[in-house]
Amino acid sequence: MQNLYWKWQFKSAPYWFIAPFVICFIIFVFLPFSYSVYLSFTEWHGQETKTFVGLANYATLLKSGDFWQSIVNSVLIFVLYVPIMLALALIFAACLSTTWMKWTGFFRTVFFIPNITSVVAISFVFLLIFNADQGILNQILMSLGLFDEPIRFLETPWWARVSVAILVIFRWTGYNMILLLGGIQSISKSLYEAAKVDGANGIQSFWHITLPLMRRLLAFCTILSTLGTFSLFTEPFILTGGGPNMATTTPVVLIYNESFKNLNMGYASTISIFFFILMMILSLVQLRLFREHD
Amino acid sequence: MKPKKRIFSTLLSMVLLVSIALTGCSGGSGEKKAEESAAGGDAGEKTKIVVWIWEDAKNVIDLNMPAFKEKYPNIDVDLHVLAQADVYQNFLIAASSADKVPDIVNLESHRLSQMIETGGLLDISDKVAPYKDKMNAYKWADAMKDGKAYAMPWDSGPVVMFYRNDLFKQAGLPSDPKEVAEQLKTWDDYKRFAKQLKEKTGVAIMADSKTKTDGTIFQEMLWQHDQWFFGKDGSVQVDSPEFIKIGQYFVDMMNAGYVNEVEPWSDAWYSSFQQNKQATIVGASWYDGLLPSLIDPKGAGKWSVAPMPKWSADDKYSSAIDGGSNLAINKNSKHPEEAWKFIEFMLGNDASQLKMMEGGLFPSLETTYQDPVFQEKVPYFNDQPVRSLYVDAVKNATPITYTKDYPLANELIRNAFAEIFLDKKSVEEVFKKTADQLRQKTGRK
Repeated sequence: MQNLYWKWQFKSAPYWFIAPFVICFIIFVFLPFSYSVYLSFTEWHGQETKTFVGLANYATLLKSGDFWQSIVNSVLIFVLYVPIMLALALIFAACLSTTWMKWTGFFRTVFFIPNITSVVAISFVFLLIFNADQGILNQILMSLGLFDEPIRFLETPWWARVSVAILVIFRWTGYNMILLLGGIQSISKSLYEAAKVDGANGIQSFWHITLPLMRRLLAFCTILSTLGTFSLFTEPFILTGGGPNMATTTPVVLIYNESFKNLNMGYASTISIFFFILMMILSLVQLRLFREHD
Repeated sequence: MKPKKRIFSTLLSMVLLVSIALTGCSGGSGEKKAEESAAGGDAGEKTKIVVWIWEDAKNVIDLNMPAFKEKYPNIDVDLHVLAQADVYQNFLIAASSADKVPDIVNLESHRLSQMIETGGLLDISDKVAPYKDKMNAYKWADAMKDGKAYAMPWDSGPVVMFYRNDLFKQAGLPSDPKEVAEQLKTWDDYKRFAKQLKEKTGVAIMADSKTKTDGTIFQEMLWQHDQWFFGKDGSVQVDSPEFIKIGQYFVDMMNAGYVNEVEPWSDAWYSSFQQNKQATIVGASWYDGLLPSLIDPKGAGKWSVAPMPKWSADDKYSSAIDGGSNLAINKNSKHPEEAWKFIEFMLGNDASQLKMMEGGLFPSLETTYQDPVFQEKVPYFNDQPVRSLYVDAVKNATPITYTKDYPLANELIRNAFAEIFLDKKSVEEVFKKTADQLRQKTGRK
């Protein structure tokens, strides 16, 4: 009997340990998510009664230009910032892991600070920097003689996307740098020493040792950035409000607009669910690619 | 290094624990208080009502709080300040979860229909009945649904033209309010003034953005001309000839360079007034409060007021309305009677409404208009009795219903203007497309 009790305890213990998480997950993630799935089949404008409309919302969604526009916007923003951000992060990480670099702790902190600073605060500061007539960025560019007319950063579609991309680079380069730094430090020193013996200089050993060995980690960072880009919200919301003419409306901004501005809760849920499915497929594809690379 | 770290993490976790415990406690006691006051209400003791409101609205309510406390010592009022957008979002959540807090919520006219639609507001038809004829007619249009009233009108936003008399003078234009009113009657005159202003002084006539306009000027022009996104039969009017003509006017003004390009309500917009970048604001009476406080505190004496320009001289109505707000009661409130006492005291009597006008909110309550204060000279506006102009304006505006689809229509028209300017498309082409989008999204004709 005693033995049986002990056995039960032994077997059930892991479940007790994960129970707090699972319970929280069910209450705060799974139930709301299921409710969203239900809402996505209804027409609901916040009133007491919800009308069940079946797949009508999904049909509207597939025909809606807005949703696909928001996906295209995200792809464009992704292309604008991910290569630059990862290149910068890799260069910084490589620099910080060299033996001759001083104050590495200081620089690590400095690069990471934007990531832990309130995104709202950062966005407001960038709002001032990007201002067309009085922003410091335009004043610098014009005093350098690069442009004659101030660039209307937040008021033209392409510059608005570039502005959002710059803000994202500012916020996330440090984070990716820390991830990559961990990867670089795990590369065996003996490889570099061997390269040195063979007469390779710093750049050559970066190109032929660091980069190939970091491919896996870079792929991981790319996946994280993909998900991050599609669910961008605060940055475009504060910086551009999703405009001009929807140029920086990401799917999440669109969901916000449909739900809290237009009170189309049902349709907004439909976008969320459809978006979730798209993201899941995208992640699976990326994971598969990432596996085959090895 | 290690022991230090451990001490730090222990401290951190202690702080966390303490804060959890504290918030837990405060939450509990808060609930208790609410329950106590709920029980107390029946016993004739103190009742607490919660009002969700935004900052500047609270500031004027505060002017009347001493008088309210004197009259109703048993009603405790908690004026809970939220950002304007949060008032709507939080109330939406409160209403859909049948929360009994807040008791009263502050709502702008242009989002009122939308909020009534959600069914979270109490039907107060009987209570507001005595005020039906006393308030500006247009306010009721959005406060009603199926013949029932769900909100009490607070303030109105009759549109006038605020202008810089010093800049007008510099440009060789008339600067005296009477002369301006005589010579600047229509939007064509306005354009003529803009041209002279630009040529003589380089100053723009107004501020707005090509791609991020808030649509205010455009909508005021529509309203004055008795046009709206939706016709009287509810059909979409965005592709009507009148609509396109007015849109074209806005585009022409922009392209001619008569408008200082800056996003309305941005920091740059606020500072542009002190930098003398533009000479007029065609805007609602609530600028009366904003100009001396937030927009141009040093501009005393430089600003004057004239009626807004009309689309054509023989238009039936001469003015427009922009905004204004209302107070409504939560359907699930435990204290609807006390809530109504508060609303009636603040919005239904002349004395409180007049007091709030000092804070720049022009009353919707028409019985106040007889008061001599409306003829009083206002020092900031060069001793001009500007309030009488607001009264004239509010009496000469057509009652238009914003409708529940207004926020969507506003967003679409903002995008439409962006498209016209960015892609250099014709107003007609883009407005036709916008009209179709609006029809498809709202199911209107």
